[in-house]
Amino acid sequence: MLQKIYDWVDERLDITPMWRDIADHEVPEHVNPAHHFSAFVYCFGGLTFFVVVIQILSGMFLTMYYVPDIINAYESVYFLQHEVTHGVIVRGMHHWGASLVIVMMFLHTLRVFFTGSYKKPRELNWVVGVLIFFVMLGLGFTGYLLPWDMKAYFATVVGLEIAESAPVIGGFAKALLAGGEIIGAQTLTRFFAIHVFFLPGALLGLLGAHFYMIRKQGISGPL
Amino acid sequence: MSEKEHKVSRRQFLTYSLVGVGGFMAASAISPMVRFALDPALEAGGESDYVAVTTVDQLSEEPQRFDFQVEVVDAWYTSNQPRSAWIYKEGDEIIALSPQCTHLGCTVNWNANEDHPNQFYCPCHDGRFEKSGQNVANTPPTRPLDIYEMEVRDGTVYLGKTIERKTV
Amino acid sequence: MHRGKGMKFVGDSRVPAENRMPNIPKDYSEYPGKTEPFWPNFLLREWMVGAVFLVGYLCLTVAHPAPLERVADPTDSGYIPLPDWYFLFLYQLLKYTYASGDYTVIGAVVIPGIAFGALLLAPWLDRGPERRPVKRPIATGLMLLAVASIIFLTWESVATHDWEKAAQQGAIVDDVEVDESAEAYAIYQSQQSCIGCHGGDMLGGAAAPSVFQSDYSKEEVMEIIVNGVPDKGMPAGQFAGTDEELEILAEFIANDGQVPAGE
Repeated sequence: MLQKIYDWVDERLDITPMWRDIADHEVPEHVNPAHHFSAFVYCFGGLTFFVVVIQILSGMFLTMYYVPDIINAYESVYFLQHEVTHGVIVRGMHHWGASLVIVMMFLHTLRVFFTGSYKKPRELNWVVGVLIFFVMLGLGFTGYLLPWDMKAYFATVVGLEIAESAPVIGGFAKALLAGGEIIGAQTLTRFFAIHVFFLPGALLGLLGAHFYMIRKQGISGPL
Repeated sequence: MSEKEHKVSRRQFLTYSLVGVGGFMAASAISPMVRFALDPALEAGGESDYVAVTTVDQLSEEPQRFDFQVEVVDAWYTSNQPRSAWIYKEGDEIIALSPQCTHLGCTVNWNANEDHPNQFYCPCHDGRFEKSGQNVANTPPTRPLDIYEMEVRDGTVYLGKTIERKTV
Repeated sequence: MHRGKGMKFVGDSRVPAENRMPNIPKDYSEYPGKTEPFWPNFLLREWMVGAVFLVGYLCLTVAHPAPLERVADPTDSGYIPLPDWYFLFLYQLLKYTYASGDYTVIGAVVIPGIAFGALLLAPWLDRGPERRPVKRPIATGLMLLAVASIIFLTWESVATHDWEKAAQQGAIVDDVEVDESAEAYAIYQSQQSCIGCHGGDMLGGAAAPSVFQSDYSKEEVMEIIVNGVPDKGMPAGQFAGTDEELEILAEFIANDGQVPAGE
């Protein structure tokens, strides 16, 4: 049955070469923890991606209850955490996942740096990776405001003050992010849009480029 | 080492393990989320609150319309919503019918159409119901009007939730 | 691969109708040395690591629910703000003399700009062919320095933050309804020394928390009013009313702002 469905699709789209290319490519010995235990450092990138997948899923589910509005945001987060079954787990996964992504990505960056893997011909992939790093920090900063509790609000106030201190464009940058003079209703909807649509969109594009380049160039050789 | 000597080749075994581990990861990560999303559908219906609507001595054999308000808790939002009921006495029994037509939810009226006296009439698609709430055959509705859960205490009529009926 | 004239396609598409690649994995003998195929050998190992990681992750989630403080109150200027932990190093940087005040630009823009810019442009700053960290001491040294300073700054920030006070400031407070018609409320209103710290509504003020915050008995409340709580800065002997008034007030506070039933 499954075979028939596969054949039906394959006849029309010729998918075998694409998937065999991924499935059959050789993984070298030096990244395999079964041969050298120290190769576990090569797992950090994969784990980062794994947490990102969980972040996307749990975030999608959280928006079923969350309302990005200063009157209802806190109420809805309180409701989903205390009244909805497993709400505390789903929100917990998103909350701790945000920290784990940063930790794993930091370790992955250090691994790539200390193995010198960013050198020719992999410069572009390093740049894309650093951009992913920035996007993740942006996701962390915008997501922190969304529950609209005390620490969320005042952390954002401080963050935007820092943005404002930049020369020339500071005031403009702050107004753009806050959506006006006050950090309030418009800031929350803006941060929500950035957190849920703009940055994840950028992230998916960058991740696609990151993986395409890895597949094209292969993992950097042993030291 | 030839792979054909074994019933399950090394590759097949690894593939099964791979699918198993992947399934474990997907299930343990996604199952709390799915339960979270399904919560409103799985939540047991809460105890219904009874609301005082009218007193017994105001009722007669003729259905009368009574409007009342119920407090509706919608997650973190609580509001008062208007409801109404057609209430009448039949001997000692008190019957409270929902005014929602069981066809498409328009509001029915008692004795509103001159051609069909002493019936509930729905203006949307000419649906009709007997006084008991029984739907008149060959009109659009397919089941009787819903009936309210009712309680009488100290001469006051309290109404709860509506109950669907297959027949009167 | 067959190309050009005479090639057959599926319908009018560009997918060839014949000689398509069979879906057969490469034989293991085609993997030289200790290399292995991505699917299923390597991915299984990766996913086993992932499964262990996930179990730890879920345990963390269950053991520590995500924190939620009280709803944002922009007028509460006494709150000590703190960003999420991975921004603490940037936040701490802005507390130092040459990175704040007149020099804020240095701390907020120049230093992070140089650091992140250098990270982004690392492949062009470190162009040598050597990949081993010991063979490129400048790059390695700078990175170690950066990591050490991030850890140091984060540590400093954590150490100087008043976690206890912040937790108290952010805690979700139960709504206390104070019976303002009670005799005890009038007694409280006549005590300037109480209002000065605990606020006119008894729910806390500039220097002290709500009087209803802890669950004390009437006797304990009287004891606290008379003797104060020197550890936390509440002075003794501030109450200027009679003993009878003291008793009424204490009973009112112990009963969470309501006149005790049965009176």
